[in-house]
Amino acid sequence: MSHPTPNAESRYSLQTRLLLAFGVLLVLFLGLAGLVLERAYQESVEAAVRERLQLQIYALLGVAEPDDNGFYLPDVQEARFSQIDSGLYGFIFDMEGRELWRSPSALNLSLSVADFSPPVPEVGETLYGGLDLEGQGELIWASYGTYWENQEQEFSFIVMESAAPTAAEIREFQSNLYFWFGLLTIFLSIAQLILLRWGLRPIANLAEDVSAIESGKQDELQGRYPLELVPVTHNLNLLIKRERERQQRYRGMLGDLAHSLKTPLAVMSAALQEIKSGGGLGPQQRQDMEEQLARMDQIVSYQLKRAVEANQSRLLVKPVEVEPMLQRIVGALQKVYRDKQMQAQCDVSPDTRFFGEESDFMELCGNLLDNAFKYGGTHIQVTARQEGRTLLLDVEDDGPGIPPDKRGWVLERGARADTVRSGQGIGLAVVVELVSGYGGEIRIGDSELGGAKISIRLG
Amino acid sequence: MRLLIIEDEDLLRAKLVKALEDSDYVVDSASDGKTGLFHGLEYDYDAAIIDLGLPQLDGISVIKTLRQKGRIFPILILTARDNWADKVEGLDAGADDYVVKPFQIEEIRARLNALLRRAAGFAKPTLDFGPLSLDTTARRLTVNGETVELTAYEYKVLEYLMLHPGKVVSKSELTEHLYDQDHDRDSNVLEVFIRRLRQKLDPDESLKPIDTIRGLGYRFNVPPNTKR
Repeated sequence: MSHPTPNAESRYSLQTRLLLAFGVLLVLFLGLAGLVLERAYQESVEAAVRERLQLQIYALLGVAEPDDNGFYLPDVQEARFSQIDSGLYGFIFDMEGRELWRSPSALNLSLSVADFSPPVPEVGETLYGGLDLEGQGELIWASYGTYWENQEQEFSFIVMESAAPTAAEIREFQSNLYFWFGLLTIFLSIAQLILLRWGLRPIANLAEDVSAIESGKQDELQGRYPLELVPVTHNLNLLIKRERERQQRYRGMLGDLAHSLKTPLAVMSAALQEIKSGGGLGPQQRQDMEEQLARMDQIVSYQLKRAVEANQSRLLVKPVEVEPMLQRIVGALQKVYRDKQMQAQCDVSPDTRFFGEESDFMELCGNLLDNAFKYGGTHIQVTARQEGRTLLLDVEDDGPGIPPDKRGWVLERGARADTVRSGQGIGLAVVVELVSGYGGEIRIGDSELGGAKISIRLG
Repeated sequence: MRLLIIEDEDLLRAKLVKALEDSDYVVDSASDGKTGLFHGLEYDYDAAIIDLGLPQLDGISVIKTLRQKGRIFPILILTARDNWADKVEGLDAGADDYVVKPFQIEEIRARLNALLRRAAGFAKPTLDFGPLSLDTTARRLTVNGETVELTAYEYKVLEYLMLHPGKVVSKSELTEHLYDQDHDRDSNVLEVFIRRLRQKLDPDESLKPIDTIRGLGYRFNVPPNTKR
């Protein structure tokens, strides 16, 4: 699988995607609807024609009277039958195909029964068909089979009319249909474009907002965003804020580091001066140098730890399972302090989790437990439980404990690196920094085991 | 005691090797993980010091492979990054202790000493066998409470035997663990050391602490005073 780089543009923009999708849907829908409408209209027109022809046949039947040579139709109501080339024609044939009668209107037409196929309907049956006659154009016919009282013969009555008016009617309907559907398509497309613009407006705003932050015009996303985007914008703002805080922190730390290294450097430089000016490397200078080197080492490792710990954005982190993490650290420390044969008791309520960076939690527990192993005698007790998203962690040992008058000093936030002394100092100072970084609380008390009890509240 | 040091920083490695050789360890060293692992698998060491950030093969992988292939000697890790994630990972992988850079050589010596004695099953830095007591920190032997002077080689032989009590240790094993590869491995020299040790430990020949198993080697046969 290939992963696109974060900044690569996707091939189609959101707007293009939606426009394309809706466009295709619109054309398909309107096209199909037009086809169905056209079909339905054509069928209804044809049905109307058939019905009309049938009625004309009934009209002829009503006035027809047989005579010796065939049929006699004295008073046909419909005037178009009497008017030559009127477009409405009537015929009567017998079973042998002999023409018994034709309407006056059809006198000019040259056609016989063979032109109608099938030529003879059953009695009571109506057949329909079309034929193309020179000079007359397309014609539609209906043929009805019947027999007459007192006659052994069966006859077929045929009425036909020009298809031209019907075809014109259908054509007009079609052109109307296409016109309105075209108009509808244009209207819907414009409406869709406007709706899309409006709907996607917040995203465009977001992009503008972000680029305003990039160019330094503003500090955070300021626009009002629809519900769906609020989680994104909220988290983005948090991220920006954290990043800014982190930068400040780093800057502060760098300042602290540089500042706190100045004193030992000054002392060493003075010692060097003494050596240069003839004193030689006496035990006093050597001791000074060693002390200052140790101090610098201490400062560097303390600031390094703070730098690690400052990496604490709480966004989008996977919660850390507390129990396995504690077990791992205890297991590792059991190895390091194997001589002590420490009895370490871990009481962790099921499903206790820490909502934060895994490495931070490891650092926190590592330092607390390391102190417990270092100062404890034979027993350590770790208790962890959860209240909502808050993690409560107690680490106790049976060592000498921390005297009450030193507790305040130990807990002082951000105790300057050059005031941190060896021993319990660095580990706990880092824990204090971490806890305050997460907006938590730390308390030092007395354990029932006899030593120190460090209680931490996180989240 | 034969040590393996895997550290890629030349200056630091050289200083470590020098300091530990001065403390009478036999030291092999490697500057990358691959070579180090090869040494660790090929030779029998008493302990190893492994840096976590190594070229070609990182320290964690070296430790894991050594443990997978059944090498049980204690391992001390060196780490420049002082965070618990690295420490716990290293210890989980099979290391026994860690030292964070920068460190004092004394720190390494003390940790090594503790690891070696713990590997032999002793919880205290002093190895007590009947009237004999070897203080591994001060590198001093007392018999019935009286200090007995030992040369460096005598001390090395005795320490090795005491850390493997009741076990038959062959001459070649002793030479391998106590001498440099390019050292003249004359087993007569070893016999001389053993003879002198017997005289110093047991002048009136009442204890007979070191057995000679003919054709096989030596065995330290005094039961330890404390439970192991």
